[in-house]
Amino acid sequence: MFETYINDYNEAVFEIDKELALEVIETALEEGVTPEQVVFNIIIPSIEVMMAEIVINADTNLAQHFMTAQIAAEVTEQMLAKFESPPEIIGRVIIGTSYGDLHSLGKRIVMGCLKSMMVDVVDLGVNIKAEAFVDAAIAQEAQIIAISSMMVHTATGEEGSLKVRALLKERHLEDKIKLVVGGAPYRFDHELYTKVGADSWAADGVTAAKIIRQLIIDGKN
Amino acid sequence: MTPLEILSATVSGQPSPRVPVFCNLLDQGAKVLKLPPKQYFAKGEYVAEAQLKMLKHYGHDNVWSAHYVGKEAQLLGCKDILFADNGVPNVADFVIKSWDEIATFEIPEDVTQHPHWQSMDDCLKILSSEVGATHPICAYVTASTTLPAILMGMDKWMELVLIGPVDLRDELVRKCSLFVQQQIVAYRAAGANVIIYANPFGSTYFIPKKRIVEWSMPWMQEDLKQGTESIVYYGGMAPINAVTELVIDTLKVNIFYPAPEDDIRESKRFINGTGLTSGVLDDIKMIHWTEQQTRDDVKRIMNLGKAGGHFLFGTGFMPLKIPEKNIIAMLEAAFEYGSYT
Repeated sequence: MFETYINDYNEAVFEIDKELALEVIETALEEGVTPEQVVFNIIIPSIEVMMAEIVINADTNLAQHFMTAQIAAEVTEQMLAKFESPPEIIGRVIIGTSYGDLHSLGKRIVMGCLKSMMVDVVDLGVNIKAEAFVDAAIAQEAQIIAISSMMVHTATGEEGSLKVRALLKERHLEDKIKLVVGGAPYRFDHELYTKVGADSWAADGVTAAKIIRQLIIDGKN
Repeated sequence: MTPLEILSATVSGQPSPRVPVFCNLLDQGAKVLKLPPKQYFAKGEYVAEAQLKMLKHYGHDNVWSAHYVGKEAQLLGCKDILFADNGVPNVADFVIKSWDEIATFEIPEDVTQHPHWQSMDDCLKILSSEVGATHPICAYVTASTTLPAILMGMDKWMELVLIGPVDLRDELVRKCSLFVQQQIVAYRAAGANVIIYANPFGSTYFIPKKRIVEWSMPWMQEDLKQGTESIVYYGGMAPINAVTELVIDTLKVNIFYPAPEDDIRESKRFINGTGLTSGVLDDIKMIHWTEQQTRDDVKRIMNLGKAGGHFLFGTGFMPLKIPEKNIIAMLEAAFEYGSYT
């Protein structure tokens, strides 16, 4: 039943046509699809299609990733307001850019996808100190700290992920809180995440959401 | 032959003794002069002195007049740059904070009269007089379709490009294009003989090819309407192979600086025995590589691209964390494996 909506919606997102994507959702609602079904049977599967597409087709681009997150977040927010009961949140992520880094595009894509996948996201913003990441993760009982870095020195610097790892170790939190990194430097060196003490990494924002969700699920199991 | 003659011969397909070797050392200059980055970048004389010292020390082919990308934002009104002792200066104040400000955003009437131009002019004068006759002097210009990203932030710009009002988007790009045209003229006049024209929004990594054809390309034509001499097409480390033929046909640019992930054989096939393309080493890996791993990758790149000429070996913007021994190993290997004799 939902396959046509998913296909039409994804085609619009791939063509970077926001209006058409929203029209597909509007049509679905008019045809009796509930807000809950829009999120769980159209939006989330659509993000998963994009996640799979990134693996199969290296030619997906940043614009498509951005649109995937942007539209999904917008539709989800609208639908959540109409839910009969609040949805179950699968986990919580503390996200921000590393200390000295002011680039927020990647973070925004990750956040958009995660919110639609029922992951609670606490955005600390840009240029965030290591202590702030860890303190927030403890205070908010988050399972994941996600750090975005667009520059080599902010990805590898002593005040970034390396320090977050050291603090997690010092406070005996390594089993409870996982560290995920992403951003341009990691795309150029796929082993770099291990050098900065991260548990995992992603080459793009959509894939980062997939990895974070899986880490939360694995942690629960 | 001088490095400049080698580059020129490589572009025109004349015999040359070796592949040109570009090593892009920018942030290293402050360390060379033992100055804090903010102080170092404040004076063009410092940048030129460090570039000349590094050229002498390492023996690569090119020098840079560029200070950092945020300099363009400063020329357009940015008030704050976040300097770091361990890396690239970052734009910390966005000139355009909301879409409403696009209408009142203005570019300098004459970029060469702007206070922030002075240090680059000073730098270029020194470089030009010292090595202008013998070495490539590189300048960096961000294309009009990408420049707004450093004026308003990449996510805000992406939003405007993809789902914002078209007239507002194009008003901003039109202003940026006039600025780009001014910069290119100014750089050439000041002595730059290689203009790196950087456009991530001219790469299919950023936007679909259809958008590049319909939107980016006409603006790039506008940016470059005063001539493509010495223009190097660069995706800002994003892949460009998918647009190379389009760029050759539409822009008449035939010098390319692809990303490390672009297939070198494909890059060479696209230029089809004219102009120049480059094999670009993934220098972020050099931070943790051994000297032998560095040499091996240089050899790999040369083996893929050297035959048939029209090929340059280059780096990204070498991160400061790369060990000195790896820079030396890379350049030794580049001269060894890049030799045609």
